[in-house]
Amino acid sequence: MSQFLEFTVLGLILGSVYAISATGLVVTYTTSGVFNFAHGAVGMIAAYGYWELVTHHVPGALAMVLVVLVAAPVFGVFIEWLLMRRLLGDTGERPVMVTLGLLAILIGLALVLFGENRGDTLSPLVNGTIRILGVGVTAQDLVIAGSAAAIAAALRVLFHSFRLGVALRAVVDDPELLATAGASPVAMSRTGWVLGSVLAALAGVLLAQQQQTSLDTYTLALLVVSGFAAAVFGRLRSVPLTYAGGLVLGLAVVYFGSYAQPHLGTLGPDLSAALPMIFLFAALIALPSVRLRAVGRLSTLRPPRVATGWESLIAAGAFCLVALACSMTLTGTVAGGTSSFGVILDHTMAYGIVGLSLVLLVGYAGQVSLCQFAFMGIGAFLMGKVAGGGSLLGLLLAAVVCAALGALIALPTVRLRGLYFTLATFAFADAAYTGIFPDTRVLGQGLNVGQIVLPGLSFGSNRAVFLLLAAAFVLTALLVLAIRRSLLGRRLVALQDSPAAYATVGLNAAFTKVAVFAIAAGLAGLAGALYGTAAGTVGTSDFDIFTGVVFVLFVVVWSVRTVSGAFLAALSFAVLTHVWTNGVGLFAGAGIVLVGWTPNGILGIGPLARLVPERWIGRRHRATGDAGSLVGVVDGREGEIRAAG
Amino acid sequence: MPPADAPAAERPAHAAGRPVLEVRGVAVHFGGVSALTDVSLSVAAGSVTGLIGPNGAGKTTLFNVVSGLQAPNSGTVTFEGRDLARMPPHRRARLGIARTFQRLELFGTLTAEDNVRVGLESSIRWWQWRRLRASFPWAHDVSGDGARAAGSRVVSLADRLLAGVGLAGHEDQQSSAMPTGNARMVELARALAMQPKLLLLDEPGSGLDEHESEALGTLLLQLAADGMAVLLVEHDMELVMRVCDRVHVLDFGHVVASGSPDEIRADPRVQTAYLGAPSGGARPPGGGR
Ligand SMILES: Nc1ncnc2c1ncn2[C@@H]1O[C@H](COP(=O)(O)OP(=O)(O)OP(=O)(O)O)[C@@H](O)[C@H]1O
Ligand SMILES: [Mg+2]
Repeated sequence: MSQFLEFTVLGLILGSVYAISATGLVVTYTTSGVFNFAHGAVGMIAAYGYWELVTHHVPGALAMVLVVLVAAPVFGVFIEWLLMRRLLGDTGERPVMVTLGLLAILIGLALVLFGENRGDTLSPLVNGTIRILGVGVTAQDLVIAGSAAAIAAALRVLFHSFRLGVALRAVVDDPELLATAGASPVAMSRTGWVLGSVLAALAGVLLAQQQQTSLDTYTLALLVVSGFAAAVFGRLRSVPLTYAGGLVLGLAVVYFGSYAQPHLGTLGPDLSAALPMIFLFAALIALPSVRLRAVGRLSTLRPPRVATGWESLIAAGAFCLVALACSMTLTGTVAGGTSSFGVILDHTMAYGIVGLSLVLLVGYAGQVSLCQFAFMGIGAFLMGKVAGGGSLLGLLLAAVVCAALGALIALPTVRLRGLYFTLATFAFADAAYTGIFPDTRVLGQGLNVGQIVLPGLSFGSNRAVFLLLAAAFVLTALLVLAIRRSLLGRRLVALQDSPAAYATVGLNAAFTKVAVFAIAAGLAGLAGALYGTAAGTVGTSDFDIFTGVVFVLFVVVWSVRTVSGAFLAALSFAVLTHVWTNGVGLFAGAGIVLVGWTPNGILGIGPLARLVPERWIGRRHRATGDAGSLVGVVDGREGEIRAAG
Repeated sequence: MPPADAPAAERPAHAAGRPVLEVRGVAVHFGGVSALTDVSLSVAAGSVTGLIGPNGAGKTTLFNVVSGLQAPNSGTVTFEGRDLARMPPHRRARLGIARTFQRLELFGTLTAEDNVRVGLESSIRWWQWRRLRASFPWAHDVSGDGARAAGSRVVSLADRLLAGVGLAGHEDQQSSAMPTGNARMVELARALAMQPKLLLLDEPGSGLDEHESEALGTLLLQLAADGMAVLLVEHDMELVMRVCDRVHVLDFGHVVASGSPDEIRADPRVQTAYLGAPSGGARPPGGGR
């Protein structure tokens, strides 16, 4: 019994940690309509700032005030001005991308300024231990639990008592309505970002003080991820529900780890790390479906002109020649390792295929997936395990199993709003990365994938395997372009442009979404399998969730609506990860600021657009002609339509 | 055009043919606001039925109820004798209900032609390999522009539909870059591409000039003569009076009058509710686009 009490107290404290970050998320969302993936990163920067001040002999309490009440509000105002104002009311993929970009740039900055790990701990604000119900609790834990409860109570009062609170909540429901009522959505959104930043900073400093280990950039930035589940439990609206969700989740994690995990033993991978994400997925599935509405918002994005069949074949031929020339520089076998140039070439092709899957998914269909790298990992795993590794069957299964898995994930979640769907893919990616891949029976530190050997043809040499990857990339690119020119491509774009019209012409949006997600997952699985055979050995770290998120940003920065964009994203990503790892996040983040301004990415900028084969359709058009005759449309129409089918 | 029905009918009599759509006692509430309270009306095959009323009367809401974008709080909607309750919008469309939108819902990044193609191809299911293959590029489209030369029937049909609504020569324009009037006609062509039995038009005339709206009227009469049921929401009284066989007047979510155009013009309740404002298409600001 005393053990149970101890677990309960531990669970409540852990739950308070979740709640304190989750309520901050809810505040930003309700006030600005933006789900801030960078919430934890803001807290991380605040923790480093606090640490800097304290090491320069500023008293703890004063440092706290400076960071939380001075720096954080300024930061909130700045971010709102620089990025968020342009996105008010944007229902597309950009708000998610911009906050992910903010996450990337803050992590990038922290890596450059402070390194990955400070090797130093923060001393808590208050010291000492108190016994509660016979359980020893540090004073710092009590401060956190108290703050979580106090913040939840204060926000609840703020949101429900004052005019400000009512106005704040109205922003997310209908910014236009609010504007007509005389309140400025921009002012509300700014207030929201100030409040959100203050809460993020407070949480960051408190949680950094609680951490027994040294200050770690990634740990701090992604600490809030576990809070996602609690925030979704509160439907991103209700502060009390979010607080309760955090506590329940904390208890569940502690109970599961203490009672269930020991009995599961070596049956399956250690799931306790993945539990918050499983919770998140479950909470998402429990949400109501998005209601189909005619919003009358016309997509005015400039689309790229779709390359015709001959154009894409010619481009593919030219690409093959370049690939052949590059392959001449490659020597040696996969087992013996390859040059840096060889690694960059291989990675460009493998990431390129993932990029193409994102063109299909994000660019055409408007669905944001953050779990393509997880499918890559699964593909590599299958490639390494099926028939002892390196078999063609493994390659095939990597694509098929990932597609099936993709369909399974999409089925219960495509009916949700775009943001929730993205969160579901994030939950899956995180669960795979933290809970499943590290198991030594899955990927662990390293899994030997093996090389494909066909009768008379071995892909054991670096040159052969690169050519295999290049061929796969070219074929995938041709496939994606062909899909875009086909009925499916028109449907995907139509679905993104107007879901209401899509349904009222008799097309099933849910089915289309599941299908395209499955195809994209299959492509990512294939890319993972190929990545595996080119690398020889892969480990969990090859499919890092944060790297996967940053790669999505790369594609969006270059232009997610073109095949050229996917290729350039893969190339720059492969180069940067080898040349300047810390620059990867900085590039993605800086690029995303740009995307806030030009929605089509780098390739959408006038002069640059002309450098690639895929031109953007101009906004200018011929002058409107006369209406002509309306007569003659009906004659013989029915018979012809049937014949055409 | 079928002759106007005998005057002074108490209940909606069907001017031409069997009723295709029947709306019975439909009510819709948004929080405290009642957008529709107990609305009943029917639309007959081979006729144009008008639905008029001042801004905020609930016309668009009724369209949403029929096309499945809005669940009614009470009442039933039957189409060709089938109860549509809880049927999702795409299945209603497959039964033969097409619509246009007052606030445009185009596939904005697609060209006008592709907008219509999506409608034309909407009946193709993924297991229909032959039809599917015909729609895939490598079947006839490797040379891109050759599609038209090779006589792709879907493309030529799409172009004919566009020409039919007066948009010949505008096929390759991005639809969101078109002027409102033309964009409305793209929506109309897309709806016609589905060969609907019931066509719901939400203010198709706004954004058209006099000449164009006359052509629109001719087209609607022709569609009705071919057996289609058309339900027309329109503020342009001239157009409504010219093409409609019956007109229902909606005010504050109630049907306040039903009858032939002549009866409606003469009805005093209608005059106060609606025509009290200067007639001939004049309307308060804020509605339409
Ligand atoms: N989604 C909604 N939420 C709340 N109220 C709504 C909603 N849609 C419509 N309403 C309200 O319902 C009433 C009827 O609106 P509706 O759009 O059906 O009118 P309408 O007859 O089409 O007007 P108009 O001629 O301006 O197009 C209006 O008072 C409107 O404010
Ligand atoms: Mg309306």
